[in-house]
Amino acid sequence: MKFGIFFEMSTPRPFSTATDLLVYHNSLEQARLADELGFDWVWCVEHHFLEEYSHSSAPEVVLAAVAAQTERIRLGHGAVVCVPEMNHPIRVAERAAVLDVVSRGRLEFGTARSSTWTELGGFNVDPDDTKKTWDEFVRVLPRMWADEPVAYDGRCFSMPERNVLPKPVQKPHPPMWVTVTSPGTELDAAERGLGCLGVASTTYAEQERRTREYHRRIQSCDPVSTCVNDQVTTLNFLYCHEDADVAAATGMRMVGLFGLSNAHLLWTREAYPTRAYQSLGNLSPAGGSDRASPGDPRGIPEGIGVGDPDRLVGVIRRWEGIGVTGINFLINTSETIPQEEVLASLRLFASEVMPKFQESASC
Amino acid sequence: MLSGTASLDELAARAPNMPALDVDAVAFEDVEVMQAAYEMDYSTREVCLPPGLHPTTPPLMVVLAWKVPDGPFGAFTMAQVRVSCRSGVRPRGFVAGCLVSTERAAAELRSRWGFPARPGPVRLDRFYDAVVLDAGPGLHISGLDPDPMGAGDVQYTVTTTLADTPRGLRLVQVEPDYELRRVERIRPRLDHFDASAWDAPALAPRHPVSATIGVGTLSVPKLRFVSRPDIMAFEGTETV
Repeated sequence: MKFGIFFEMSTPRPFSTATDLLVYHNSLEQARLADELGFDWVWCVEHHFLEEYSHSSAPEVVLAAVAAQTERIRLGHGAVVCVPEMNHPIRVAERAAVLDVVSRGRLEFGTARSSTWTELGGFNVDPDDTKKTWDEFVRVLPRMWADEPVAYDGRCFSMPERNVLPKPVQKPHPPMWVTVTSPGTELDAAERGLGCLGVASTTYAEQERRTREYHRRIQSCDPVSTCVNDQVTTLNFLYCHEDADVAAATGMRMVGLFGLSNAHLLWTREAYPTRAYQSLGNLSPAGGSDRASPGDPRGIPEGIGVGDPDRLVGVIRRWEGIGVTGINFLINTSETIPQEEVLASLRLFASEVMPKFQESASC
Repeated sequence: MLSGTASLDELAARAPNMPALDVDAVAFEDVEVMQAAYEMDYSTREVCLPPGLHPTTPPLMVVLAWKVPDGPFGAFTMAQVRVSCRSGVRPRGFVAGCLVSTERAAAELRSRWGFPARPGPVRLDRFYDAVVLDAGPGLHISGLDPDPMGAGDVQYTVTTTLADTPRGLRLVQVEPDYELRRVERIRPRLDHFDASAWDAPALAPRHPVSATIGVGTLSVPKLRFVSRPDIMAFEGTETV
């Protein structure tokens, strides 16, 4: 089992330079600590215009800073929005390769297509087209990273022969992932040989069904490149404290606030009817935060990483048992938890919970 | 978290009276349903909503029209101007204004569900390649180039109205269910909009986003929830 931290750069009102500095530099400090503690990944999302929920509009810049301040932790570019109005595919290939070079081969490359009207409408993107452009991006990017030179004649863009430079350190290219929000996207990932980067809260039963189907499909995939990434991760919250009551009170405050700000996004389907977007939201209440865990005296939803170390070991064992190979944690929302407490939670998790899974891995 | 800043006193002054909350369910057959969404200026985000509701970003004005050929209220056509919002974490459409083609239907919509309905001229006309909604001097919109799509691909958001109820001033949750047998997406055009004609001067639709036209059965079940307009839904929701 691998563990990551996941940055949305959620930001409380009132917005100010001081708040932006606080959010970004707290995140960088968290990344440095996660590196020291042995976390596997630090992921940084790409979102645009999402007030409060996510001010993470240039993750490649954040990850470059993380690369410069850390030694070992892998950098999750999670995920690049694969629509040409937002990111030209050549620039995507170049930026990713440079990140892999400056980090000495630590890049994980996530792909996505954006889910909100706020973002798609802001860039004048036709929601009907995003699945098509995403599919085109994930097939051509490996060629740009491996071929010298490469030419491409496609639907969303074309290019004559050019050598896209530099080439990534990792050969043939960094591991590729797909963010999975809507049910069924895990199958798109499997069929292309891409890792399943879960960003939607699910129940154990639903995740087990999805993971089983993903692993079944990827056995016969038609990969977009010569390498297959068959990892399955989920997104979770993390607040770990010795006192279970304190953990529940603090952690659930974060969970609730995240769910509220998530629910306030203007999802594409609400503004623009299209078969290309079937679901509303990711960690929305329907999927997560009001999902009572049977028998939990503190009302913590099933599968949520909030509690004392013993509870978290149990929760992660369940995820591990259904085939999840990694968990990425949101560790704060809108600075609702003071930075020192966030760092203490990470330290406690690393000392009391992570070793249990390193042991099982070595067995 | 942003919340509405509209004056409750001003909203209350034009809130319809609902003598009872325990109203019967109603169904209408062969209803034509048009929905059109327009982005509004950010400056209008909070000012159109009561404090108990939260705006979306960008703010979205949605025009909803029903053309009902027959039923318990007789034949009528309704045009409703609403603002997309959230009640707690739930998506809602807050009704800012409502025009109905007959006195009888307007009275029913006011008393049953708290729609701020006024009688007035409303027409929804379907042509081969266009749909036109004409709601008196306040609204004229067109939908062009119909393109068939699945009925399940359209989202109709639950309606919230502000009404004077037996429990006092309340946000009333009205949950129409649309079973449409045919839906087409149409390219929206805003030909004319006069916010003052809707008693909602802050409404400022700018950027057309989407529109649909469908036909099928419209059912409005019994009311289940109301909430206080002055506090968040987590604290102010009441069961009917």
